[in-house]
Amino acid sequence: MNKMMNAKFLLMLVLGMMLITFTACSDGDETSAGDTEDTTTNEENTDNTGDNTGDTADTSGSSDELSGEVEFMTISLLPAFEDYLNGLKESFESEHPGVTVKINDVPYDQVEQLVLTKAASGDLPDVMNLNTDFVKKAGAKGALVNMDEAAADVKDTFFEGIWEAGSVNGSVYALPWYTTTSGLIYNPELLEKAGYDAPPATFEEAWEMSPTILEKTGAYGEVIMPEMHFQFPKNGIPFLNEDNTKAAFNTPEAVELWTKYKEYYDEGLYDIDILLNQVSMAELYAQEKVAWWYTGPQLFRQVKDLSPDVYEKSLAGPPLEGTAGKQHANPMNIAVSSTSKSKDAAVAFAKFVTNADNQLAFAKEAAVLPPVKEAIEDPFFAEGEDSEDATERGKFYAAQALDTAENMIPPVESVSGIYEAIHQAFQRVLLQDVDPADALTQAEQEVNSLLAE
Amino acid sequence: MYKARHAWSFLSIPLLLLLLFTFIPSIAALGLSFTNYNVFDPVEWVGLNNYIQAFQDSEFRKALFNTVYYWLLVTPVLVVFPILIAVLVNQKLRGISMFRLIFYFPVLVSVVVTAILWKWMFAKQGIINYFLSFLGIGEIGWLINPSTVMLALAFVTVWQGFGYYMLFYLAALQGVPKELYEACELDGGSFWQKHIYVTVPLIKPMIFFVTVISTMGAFKEFTLMLTMTSGGPLRASTTAVLLVFQEAFTELNMGYASAISFILFIVILIITFINQKFLDQNPR
Repeated sequence: MNKMMNAKFLLMLVLGMMLITFTACSDGDETSAGDTEDTTTNEENTDNTGDNTGDTADTSGSSDELSGEVEFMTISLLPAFEDYLNGLKESFESEHPGVTVKINDVPYDQVEQLVLTKAASGDLPDVMNLNTDFVKKAGAKGALVNMDEAAADVKDTFFEGIWEAGSVNGSVYALPWYTTTSGLIYNPELLEKAGYDAPPATFEEAWEMSPTILEKTGAYGEVIMPEMHFQFPKNGIPFLNEDNTKAAFNTPEAVELWTKYKEYYDEGLYDIDILLNQVSMAELYAQEKVAWWYTGPQLFRQVKDLSPDVYEKSLAGPPLEGTAGKQHANPMNIAVSSTSKSKDAAVAFAKFVTNADNQLAFAKEAAVLPPVKEAIEDPFFAEGEDSEDATERGKFYAAQALDTAENMIPPVESVSGIYEAIHQAFQRVLLQDVDPADALTQAEQEVNSLLAE
Repeated sequence: MYKARHAWSFLSIPLLLLLLFTFIPSIAALGLSFTNYNVFDPVEWVGLNNYIQAFQDSEFRKALFNTVYYWLLVTPVLVVFPILIAVLVNQKLRGISMFRLIFYFPVLVSVVVTAILWKWMFAKQGIINYFLSFLGIGEIGWLINPSTVMLALAFVTVWQGFGYYMLFYLAALQGVPKELYEACELDGGSFWQKHIYVTVPLIKPMIFFVTVISTMGAFKEFTLMLTMTSGGPLRASTTAVLLVFQEAFTELNMGYASAISFILFIVILIITFINQKFLDQNPR
């Protein structure tokens, strides 16, 4: 009898646990049950991304009658830009009464994992703020709407070099939202001590000045930063061949460049800790251990926070140029999920967020640049030309650089692998005295095998 | 029967949580290790390909080597050193609880905060090199030199972990009968002999436990490497779990990352069995 009761009790317990388990696993709507269907839909969308951007489940027909709920995932913009984002939401909702926009801000360091988790459950946000690397990964997998087709009408409003940022495997999968290029913040006192009255204009000049600066002041001049891989395109050395199927950076010019970098390293002109992210450039500059910092002007304020005195005496100049004379622009992007249930509304909202007026308004609130040509013509971006403030002046120079700027990230999925291969090779040159030509050959082979996968 | 029913009632919720958040994901990960799942595309069965790839992958071999090296640096120290500290703070002295608190304090600091603090201290112009300069030792690039990076990371792990294991030993020491020490003293045993012949045999189960959990901790360590070095320089501090993270969340190779995880699981299992064979014996 007791045994029977015991068995009954255990059975009830197991059933209870199963019930709770299955209840917990179900999200209350069709999503869970439709996981397989979602996959099918995803496949269909992958194949026909461009064709069916106009077909949505809940759109009544014409684009003027948009409806549905649009989840807009932003990255670390709340609470700082709450008014701006709410303004966007309200304006769009008043233009399209059938659409409800839901803003969901997520911390920067959790974006990728969160998007991956949502992608795995077939529940990607309709409109997403994504960085360029991730756009390429998700775009290559067919998770994003093809903007070459869905936003063809606004393509020409963007700077061409920046529009291409979201490009992977020949199609663009995101609209650039805001961007940065570079400026130069420099310490005129250190330059004066070393006998210079102006900052360098090119990387070549920068390296030429560095030994004297180091000798006279003890501070570094030019240094190799963690984004060293962009030195290739900035000096006219392409990452990949024209059809993006093979590495193209193993050239005599690249060997010469790395040979020089190795010589500078051996001469003590820079240290590897900056390259390895062990110290921050903002800290080094604020401590007057480096004479200039080539970076986006939105970061100049870090110097002010760390050392107001150093910031006060700092000036801004145009960004350093390589032999190609081009600057890298790395935009933050707006992408639309290819599985969105309100795809028309989502695409319309993405275009709305990235139109000239809204980009300009955002650039005025945040220290960023609009990737839309019309917005950059606003007198706001010329205001800093005569400013004594390094950030304001830096913004002017960065805006000037937009015309020739382009996104230099290779238009393939395995971007992080390519950078890693180049970094490892360069570290071998510095730390293990590997011949630059051999290191580049090894990196080339690694990149080729990545691209072949 | 009544007691059993109550026991099961209390156990059911933890069991359910364990089932939901440990067993089911683990089984799902084992399944994924036979696929080339990348989150966005449908799952594709690839059989043992991921496991074959792992054994051919020089990065994985290097990560496994780094993990074993780190384990060998960390675990012996974390097994032995806390015993010494525990014996010291087990004395009945005035203010001894303050010392216990001081030794335990690093455990309370978050790993990320610890990592950032030690990253500054290990910098070329950091405080460690500053003190070493008094001994005539020149600047050492602790975290930027492939041959010193693991030593530095192991030091931080020991600094943060020894207080935790000290607490286990302290609990075990409280259970050692004082009469045994007295008997040893009567036999003329010295301080060291008392501990070698009385303490160590009686806390052997705890030594086994600490060995197992510090081994698992060492094999699973990831936050320190991610925060302090990102696995560099030249992948000298890329551990197996860091590689799993990079493969899963940077390269989106969920299937391959799952396969590496399972290989790591097997390695930990084997090491635990070896530990058990040598250490898990009842005190005689």
